Amino acid sequence: MPTITIDGTTYEYEGDHKVLQFCLDEGVELPHFCYHPAMSIPANCRQCLVKVGTPKINRETGEPERDDDGNVQIQWFPKLQASCTVDVQDGMVVKTHRSDEEVQAAQKDNLELLLINHPLDCPICDQAGHCPLQIQAYKYGPEGSRFEFRKVHKPKRVKLGPRVTLDAERCINCTRCTRFTDEVSESGQLTINQRGVKNYPLTAPGEDFDDPYSMNTIDLCPVGALTASDFRFKARIWEMSSTPSITTTNATGSNCQYWVRDNLVLRITPRQNMAVNEYWLPDEDRTVYEQFNNDRPTGPQIRTGGNLAEARWPQAYARAAQDLSSVDPSEILFLGSAHATVEDNYLLTQLADALGADAPRYIPHVEPGAGDDWLITDDKTPNAQGCERLGIRAVDEQMIRSKMDAGEIKLVYVLEDDPVAAGLFTEEQLKGVSVILHHYNTTNQTLPAADVALPAAMVVETVGTYVNQDGRAQRVRPAKEIRGVNRTLMMEMGKARQDTHGTPFDKWYNEENRVNCKPSWELLPEIAERVGHPMDYAKGPKQVMDEVQSTLDAFAGATYDAMGLKGVQLEDVETGETV
Amino acid sequence: MEATNGTPQSKAGDWRSYERVLLPPVKDLHRLEVYEQHGGYDALRTVLTDDSLTPGDVTQAVKESGLRGRGGAGFSTGMKWSFMPEPDDRPRYLACNADESEPGTFKDRQLMEYNPHLMFEGILIACYAMQIDACYVYTRGEYVDWIDHMQVELDKLYDKGYVGDNIMGTGFSTEIVMHKGAGAYICGEETSLLESLEGKRGYPRYKPPFPAQKGAWSQPTTINNVETLACVPLIVNRGAEWFASTGAEQHPGPVLYGISGHVNRPGVYEYPTGMLITDLIDEVAGGVRGGKALKALIPGGASVPPLRADMIEGVTMDAESLREAGSLFGTGGMLILDEDTDMVSWLRRVTHFYQHESCGQCTPCREGTGWLEQIVTRIDEGEGRLRDLDLLLELGDQMEGRTICAFADAAVWPVRNTVKRFREEFEAKCKKSVHPTGAEVSAGAETAA
Repeated sequence: MPTITIDGTTYEYEGDHKVLQFCLDEGVELPHFCYHPAMSIPANCRQCLVKVGTPKINRETGEPERDDDGNVQIQWFPKLQASCTVDVQDGMVVKTHRSDEEVQAAQKDNLELLLINHPLDCPICDQAGHCPLQIQAYKYGPEGSRFEFRKVHKPKRVKLGPRVTLDAERCINCTRCTRFTDEVSESGQLTINQRGVKNYPLTAPGEDFDDPYSMNTIDLCPVGALTASDFRFKARIWEMSSTPSITTTNATGSNCQYWVRDNLVLRITPRQNMAVNEYWLPDEDRTVYEQFNNDRPTGPQIRTGGNLAEARWPQAYARAAQDLSSVDPSEILFLGSAHATVEDNYLLTQLADALGADAPRYIPHVEPGAGDDWLITDDKTPNAQGCERLGIRAVDEQMIRSKMDAGEIKLVYVLEDDPVAAGLFTEEQLKGVSVILHHYNTTNQTLPAADVALPAAMVVETVGTYVNQDGRAQRVRPAKEIRGVNRTLMMEMGKARQDTHGTPFDKWYNEENRVNCKPSWELLPEIAERVGHPMDYAKGPKQVMDEVQSTLDAFAGATYDAMGLKGVQLEDVETGETV
Repeated sequence: MEATNGTPQSKAGDWRSYERVLLPPVKDLHRLEVYEQHGGYDALRTVLTDDSLTPGDVTQAVKESGLRGRGGAGFSTGMKWSFMPEPDDRPRYLACNADESEPGTFKDRQLMEYNPHLMFEGILIACYAMQIDACYVYTRGEYVDWIDHMQVELDKLYDKGYVGDNIMGTGFSTEIVMHKGAGAYICGEETSLLESLEGKRGYPRYKPPFPAQKGAWSQPTTINNVETLACVPLIVNRGAEWFASTGAEQHPGPVLYGISGHVNRPGVYEYPTGMLITDLIDEVAGGVRGGKALKALIPGGASVPPLRADMIEGVTMDAESLREAGSLFGTGGMLILDEDTDMVSWLRRVTHFYQHESCGQCTPCREGTGWLEQIVTRIDEGEGRLRDLDLLLELGDQMEGRTICAFADAAVWPVRNTVKRFREEFEAKCKKSVHPTGAEVSAGAETAA
C-alpha cells in the first residue's frame, strides 16, 4: 500500500487525497481558513503552507536514489506548498510546523499579515470564542504586530439580505461565502467586490441576499464578517450550551445544534451528517427558534364554567380521564401528530387501543411546491414517516367532517397539533365536543375550544425519535429545561451545559424561562392510568422505543444506542402498509 | 561606449546595420493588402500547404529557433507548445496575451498598431502547430482604439478566408476572437487571464494543473505574448537557424526594446537581443536627458530589480547577462533614471502601483503590498526610522514565494533591490535616531548586494 510520511510518522493510504484533508483526517491539525471539504479549493489564505518532498527518482533505473545509509533521498519542492492543493503521492514526505522551522515561520508571518488590517475587535465580535482566526492567531501567530499604520476601513453593518449582516473590515477574503453561493446553493448572489486589500463580499447593486440557504455563509465565515442579523450581539458563545439534535421544520430532519442560554433558544446551527444534510441547514430551519421561547403556555388548564382556568397537573389529568371515560370509545377521535415523536404517537396508539377506540389519525401539513429537492421539503412536519410506520394514517377529512356533522364524534384527543388552524374543524364545530389538547404555544387556534389543555414539551425540551422522509430514525435530546422534576430529561441533558448549574443567584438566570410543560410520554401514561389502563414505562421513552423497535419491523434496529448522534437508516416499508 | 579590454562585447553583432523585421519600415503595413505585398501570409501558406511540414515540425522549428517568451518570464516557446497534449475530441485554445500593462512596457502596442498581421499570422501558425480550434486575443481594455483597429483587419482576414473555416482551402480551420479586458494588471498573468476570459474575476489559478492540461474552460490551452507570436512567421520564413543566430545565443531573436524615462529619445526600438545596455542608452536612445549622469536602470518593466549605474558596465540585454548582473530581462521595457532621481520617491510610486493592482486573493500579497507602500511612503515623507528598512526586507521574505502567482514576487523584487542597492538614499531620508549611537543599528551598506 502506498505511504506518506508526515512529521516523521508514516501513514498508509488508499485513493486520492489532498495533503491538508489527509492530515485533518489523520488528526494532524494544520491551520487553514479558506479550505472547506464541500467546496472548490482556492488556496488563497496561504495559511496551510507545508514543506513537501518526493523521493528522488533515478532517471535510468526508475528507482528512488538512496544515500550512503540506504535512506531514500528526498527532493524538496523549492517553495513551501499550500497543502490543500497538493496531491498525496507514494513516498511523499511532509513537514508541518511541528517539525520544520521554516513552515512555522511562514504560518506565523501569514497570520501577522492576516491581522494587520483586521479590526481586532474580538471583545465585541460575535465570532470570538469560536473564531478560527482568533484561535489560530493565538496558536500559531506572532506575539505582536509590527504594523504601525492606519488600518483599511471598509463598510460595517451592511445588511446583505434579510438575515445576514456584513462587517467588511473583519473579512479576510477567504471566498468561502461566494463559493457557497456559486457552488452549493447555486444562487450566485455573492461576489467579491473591489480589488486587493479593499475587497469584500457583496451582492450585485440593488439585489438582496435572500438565498433560502443564506445563513450557511455565517457558519462558513472563518471570522466575524458575516453574522446573523437577529443573533448578532445577543450572546457570547461561551454563555450558551449547544445540544446536538435535529430540526423539525420539515421532513428532512436536518441535524443541528440548539444553542441555549438561560433556557432560551437563541440560535440554531447545522451539525454535520453526511447522510442527511451534510454541512448545511436552510434558513427556514434556523429562524424558527423563537417559537421555543415565545407564547409558551404557563401550565395546564381545564374548562370550568365555560372558561379555561389554570389548574394543577393532577387536576388536569383527572379531568382528561373523566372526559375520556364519559363517552363511548367509538365516539372518540384520536389525532396523532407528525410533529410529535414516535414514542408519543406510539403511546397514543396504545391508549386508543386500550380504550377500544379507532386507531389514531394524523393531520398532514404539506405545502405543494414549497420544497426544493434539497433540504427543504413540501412536508412541513418532521415525523409523517414515523406516523405511517406506526400505522397511523393521514386523516380522511371528508369522513371526519361528515362524522362531525352527524354528531358521531363526542371527544377529540389532539396530540401536539392544531386541527383548527389546519382547517379540519372550525372552533364553532368543536363547541359541543370535548377537546383534550396537547399544545406547544398559546397561539394554538384549537386552544380556545379545548376542555383540557396540556402544555407539551417541544423538540428542544424532550427525548424522542423522529423518522425523516427517507426513513432515517434520529434522536432528539433536551436542550433546555422545563419546570418540575423529570429524571429522564435530567439524565439526557448534556453534561457540558454551561448553565446546568444555574441557580436563582446567577445574574442571568430567570425561572420564567423554564416552561411549565411536560413531554407527552409523561402525560399519556398519567391519563392512561386514570382511565384504568396503566402503562409501565418506568425508564421513559428509551424503553418505549425499545418496545417499538422490537415489536414493529418498520423500526427494527432503532434503539437509542444505535441511533446515537447520526441516526439509523430504517428498512424501507411501503407507506400505507398495515403494521 | 567603447568596449574596454576584458569586458563582454555586444552580442548583437553589427546592430547598427540591423534591418527591422518585426516592425519593418513599410508605410501602411497594418493593412492586409500592404502586408501581403510584402510577403505577408506566405509563412502561413507554406505551413498549411507544404505536406512535408507537419504540426510537430513547426513546433520543432520554434524549439530549435530558441525563441523565448517575450511576455516577461522568458520561457522557451517551443517547449511550451510541446506541453499541449495530443489532440483528442476536446476543444483546444490559444490565448494571445495582449494585456500589456507592466509599467514601462509598451512594445506590444506598437506591434498591434503597425504590424498586427504579423501577430495574426503567428497566431494562425501556432494554431496549426498545436492543432488549436480557436484563439482569443485578450487585449488590455485601455487599448480600445487598437482593438477597433485590429478588428478591422481581422474582419478582412475572415472575408479573405485566412481565418475561419477551411483556411486557404486547406481544410484547416481556426477562429480568432478579439477579447477586451477590463483594466486589471493581474489579468496579464496567464491563469487570471483565462479566468477573466471565462467571465470570472481575474484571480490567478494555482498550478498544477497547468493551462496545457486544464486551461480556458478546463480545456488544453496555451498562452503566448503578442511579440512571441509575431516572431513565429519570421522563424518559418527565415528559418530557425537565422533566428537562433540573431542576437544572444541563449536568448536569441529580434526584440522590441521599449525605452522610457530620462533619455533624449524614448521609444520602441527593434534590435537583436544581447545589445549592450550602454549602446541602447547612449546611442539608440540618444543618451541621458540634459547630459546628466545615469543613476539607475530597470531593464524589463517595473517588476524587475533595478540596476545601479555602476552595475551595467558591459551588461547586455539578454536573460543570462542580466541575471549575472542581478536583474531580469522581463519585457524589455527599459526605464532609465538619471542622477537627480529620488529613488525613495520612485519606489513609493512603484509600491503604490502594486498595492493598487494586487488582486487580493492571497493573504501575503493582499496585505503585504499595502504595508510595503505605507512604509516606503513614511520614509519618503521623512517620518521613517532606520528599522523600517530592515522591516521592508523582512516583509519581502514574508511575501515572496508564498502566493499563487508571481505578483507578490514582482512587488517584492523592486523593493528589496532598491533598498539594498540604494540604501544610503533611504537612510538619508530616515529620521535620525534619538538614542545614543549604536542603540538603533541599521544592517548597513555592507549587506547590500
